[in-house]
Amino acid sequence: MTDLRSGGTVQFGHTELPAEQRDALRKAVRLEWATMGFLAVTTTLVFLVLGNSQAMKAAWIEDLLSFLPPISFLIAARIIRKPPSEDHPYGYHRSTGVAHLVAAVALTVMGGYLLVESGLGLLKAEHPTIGGIELFGSTIWLGWLMMGVMLLTAAPPVFLGRAKMKLAEKLHDKVLYADADMNKADWMTAVAAVAGVGGIGLGLWWADYAAALLISASILHDGFKNTRAAVSALMDKRAMTYDDGEPHPLGRQVDTYLRGLDWAADAKSRIRDEGHVFHIESFVVPAGGTVPALEQLEAARKDCVAMDWKVQDMVIIPVAELPSEFLPGPTSGGEH
Amino acid sequence: MAGLLLAVLMVLPGCGSSFPADPEGTLERVRGGTVRVGASMNGDWVRINASDSGRLSSNDVQGTEAELVKDFADRLGAEIEWVAGTEQVLADELKHGGLDLVIGGLDDKTPWVTHAGMTRPYAESQDGRGSVHKHVMLVPLGENAFLLELDKYLMEVKAGQ
Repeated sequence: MTDLRSGGTVQFGHTELPAEQRDALRKAVRLEWATMGFLAVTTTLVFLVLGNSQAMKAAWIEDLLSFLPPISFLIAARIIRKPPSEDHPYGYHRSTGVAHLVAAVALTVMGGYLLVESGLGLLKAEHPTIGGIELFGSTIWLGWLMMGVMLLTAAPPVFLGRAKMKLAEKLHDKVLYADADMNKADWMTAVAAVAGVGGIGLGLWWADYAAALLISASILHDGFKNTRAAVSALMDKRAMTYDDGEPHPLGRQVDTYLRGLDWAADAKSRIRDEGHVFHIESFVVPAGGTVPALEQLEAARKDCVAMDWKVQDMVIIPVAELPSEFLPGPTSGGEH
Repeated sequence: MAGLLLAVLMVLPGCGSSFPADPEGTLERVRGGTVRVGASMNGDWVRINASDSGRLSSNDVQGTEAELVKDFADRLGAEIEWVAGTEQVLADELKHGGLDLVIGGLDDKTPWVTHAGMTRPYAESQDGRGSVHKHVMLVPLGENAFLLELDKYLMEVKAGQ
């Protein structure tokens, strides 16, 4: 990460990052390392008091899985800097998507496993056994320690998640977004585990499994959501905003600009999100069927690239009519 | 979910000493009543003298663990109903609620964790091969108030040694 600290230029492939994104990336890397440090502490603490509670086990496994998104992000953040090469003409941007998919599949598998295991425990009515532990010379119920540790670890991820969420938007980074999204919901896992152990304390043995089921379901839900997002990104779904909330406004912006050119009659683009940066192919129908001058094409391309740091790899193709076989829907920006 | 937590926290003060509680109420039943103890012969830990009547009295069951259990029962003001058997028979009884406690020089590597809960290790011994064994007793799964009471007793004994 030396090139980050030096304050020099940072590149995603051949896209040079603007100062704002460079700062965001630097902060994100720092936050992800902080997340890993925090996780190392919490997974150790939780492991020490794990006991026989299924809810605690589920919460612990979720903590372990929480290592995956930061690791994916940090690895991808290194690989995407490689410039395109002979063998990889589009650069290494997709490494983000690959990392996202790997993390998402791991979440899905573990979530499913825990769900089945917790469900079986509930069906078999295996009463969770939690005894005493020696602490400073006296013997107390281990459940108190479990609840204490879980409450202690509940809050920090929420703050980490919020901070990362802002950076995910700036960087247009979906792994960072997924990570932040999960961190923000992490307190619910802690509360569920506390409720499960508290239930055991009250003699409600099933409360532990209920809490474990809830936690497994949330892991599985995260897994499905992320797998879907990662797969559709790798399938070249149209470019969406960082949270997959809506189509990315850049598409409309580029089309509107191109259509507004005095030499253009119509224009339409297809955009794919390579992870951070976009690849844009814009088909432009010149007015009156006259082929535009090279300078006009070059100027249009420059203006589009200037719109957003994500636009760099862009081609403008003059065509006699818009090729409907390549373009979705009759209007810009929409499969209607 | 926060509501559930709140409910748990609100009920807590009302529980007083019964937190953790036993789902099957073992501790309450045993206190001043009868504790059913399964004993499996094992060296100096548990020795059993066969009696003529078939029923075991406290004098028939000797050994360090048997003495601990007798002392523990005294503290609870409980009579002991002894049952002798192999580990498997006793573990099975424990699982199905037929016993409250099983002793037999068991250590924390016992395979019967599928059938029973374990106390914390309260003593260590070394076998002829030099391996260290951490000794535990078995209780019914999930009877956490009873287990905690026994753990507290065993830790006191351990501290007193």
